[in-house]
Amino acid sequence: MGLLSILRRLKQSPEQEVRLLLLGLDNAGKTTLLKQLAAEDISHITPTQVHPCTRAHRNTLLMSNCEIPLLNFLVKQSGHASVHLLSERLNYPLNLIYVAFHQQGFNIKSVQSSGFKLNVWDIGGQRKIRPYWRNYFENTDVLIYVIDSSDRKRFEETSLELAELLEEEKLAAVPLLVFANKQDLMTASPASELAESLNLHTIRDRMWQVQACSALTAEGVQDGMTWVCRNIKFRKR
Amino acid sequence: MGCFFSKKSKRKSAEKENLTPTTTSADTAGNSVPLGNNTDEAPKQYSWDKREKVDPKDYTLTGLKDVTVGRLPGTLNGKPFVIQDCENCNIFVLDHSATINIDDCVNCRIVFGPVKGSVFFRDCKDIKCVVACQQFRARDCKKMDVFLCCATQPIIESSTGMKFGCFQYYYPELAFHFKDAGLSIFNNNWSNIHDFTPVSGENNWSLLPEDAKVADFVLAPDPESDFKSVRISTEAARSIVPLTKGGRRKDSEESCLFVFFAGDYTTANARKLIDEATSKGFVLIQTKEVSMKPEDAKRVFQNNADDLVEWINKGPVTALELNGDGAVEACKTIASEVFSGTKVFVSDNKNMSTRDVDSFFNFADMQMGL
Repeated sequence: MGLLSILRRLKQSPEQEVRLLLLGLDNAGKTTLLKQLAAEDISHITPTQVHPCTRAHRNTLLMSNCEIPLLNFLVKQSGHASVHLLSERLNYPLNLIYVAFHQQGFNIKSVQSSGFKLNVWDIGGQRKIRPYWRNYFENTDVLIYVIDSSDRKRFEETSLELAELLEEEKLAAVPLLVFANKQDLMTASPASELAESLNLHTIRDRMWQVQACSALTAEGVQDGMTWVCRNIKFRKR
Repeated sequence: MGCFFSKKSKRKSAEKENLTPTTTSADTAGNSVPLGNNTDEAPKQYSWDKREKVDPKDYTLTGLKDVTVGRLPGTLNGKPFVIQDCENCNIFVLDHSATINIDDCVNCRIVFGPVKGSVFFRDCKDIKCVVACQQFRARDCKKMDVFLCCATQPIIESSTGMKFGCFQYYYPELAFHFKDAGLSIFNNNWSNIHDFTPVSGENNWSLLPEDAKVADFVLAPDPESDFKSVRISTEAARSIVPLTKGGRRKDSEESCLFVFFAGDYTTANARKLIDEATSKGFVLIQTKEVSMKPEDAKRVFQNNADDLVEWINKGPVTALELNGDGAVEACKTIASEVFSGTKVFVSDNKNMSTRDVDSFFNFADMQMGL
């Protein structure tokens, strides 16, 4: 397998492959949302972590020593990388590729929706690792920002983080979907209240939408994804 | 509810521009709030729009000092809960809940019944608590002693002096509350904490002494309080969650894997095994309740796999690791004497038993970590 040919293939994104970046504070419900999109079991979700693939993981991943730096490099470069393509090229079962990405510090799923192949990247949201978010901005087709609507204490914090994201050059004009998540909780703030406190109506430079949802029950999730799929083609390339 | 005409919100200042919202929702004051800037559809109604509204204050404890408070069994029933700005309080949430956030609390003793989602401590200090949850998170906390049952890896961030031990608690409804919260008493990752902000040369977290007693940390509720009617016990032997050694160093090189298959008496059988084995001096290291597929069975059970495939299809298996010199022989004896009518898997010999244990629990960790 030639490294260059893999890279070339990875950078060519077929028209219908779309990159969605899933951001938000820790405990917002990003991973639950991701797994819901992938129609997977959501009864046992663990906080998302960041750490590079190391020699210690070699046995778990059944990889040779030289393949670890290769995998780390590919993951950093991969942009529109399809996990299926990586699996095929490296000749590893798909679940091991997911494990490798997981070890890199995030969850990634490929989901078919409305004729698109959505590659959804879910990065950890702890304060300490938010600086890593910028490694994943490039080539994002839609930004999905998830908020725990019941955690009023942190509305200001999440508002600040979102405001900073909207100033990022690499995310300029990228359509924004805000999931007002955890609506299943009776103490959740309604989407309208969140929209107001986030001052979203002042956004001029991109399409945006606030969608109330419960990642746990899936209610509202598909409506959000429908908006996403409708707005992908509006991104300035 | 939805409005399609332009309307300035009365609460916004005059400098803000006029917008034509295309999707809006009426806020409580009846003003239109735009929810987007390019959808043509009328906003949908969801279940949360139609349900009875509650006051979040009813699910919040704020600014309390020197009191004993909380919720009795049956009074919270899976709702979310928030605790903030409390000092020197004894807080007993003796019911299952959806999620609990605790902010800015100092010098409190806290007990949380099973939480379906996350427990998140922020900016708290000098806390002694007993917690059962799916996720445990702590940020900007200092000096906490936590007796924990956590389904996933607990995480801490920017915190110090965090100490962890195995959950030990009992009250009559607790077993039901675990079921209501969707938590298994056999899935407890209390001892392997992930620190997002490790400091070189220091440890932000450690394990409580093995003989630490909950009663020394969190006193039983005042007999004069509302909680006097709840028959709580903090005795280790009565704990709903089995006590596991977790990540502490094992005394012996010999461990045995014991697996029960899904059935009506699995939990009772597992408890019986633990009683039998511990009374003989063996130590329970870890337990797991997890679903297996046929290919997993092949990898973990190897030669016995074919025989067991129909059993793993019945539902999740419950596995236990017992440690001590002679553990394998003892477990085999217990299997034949106590569980002769029950389908079980027991390590066959002490040369292979370590492989059995590692195979199973590595598989379980991978299965549950993704």
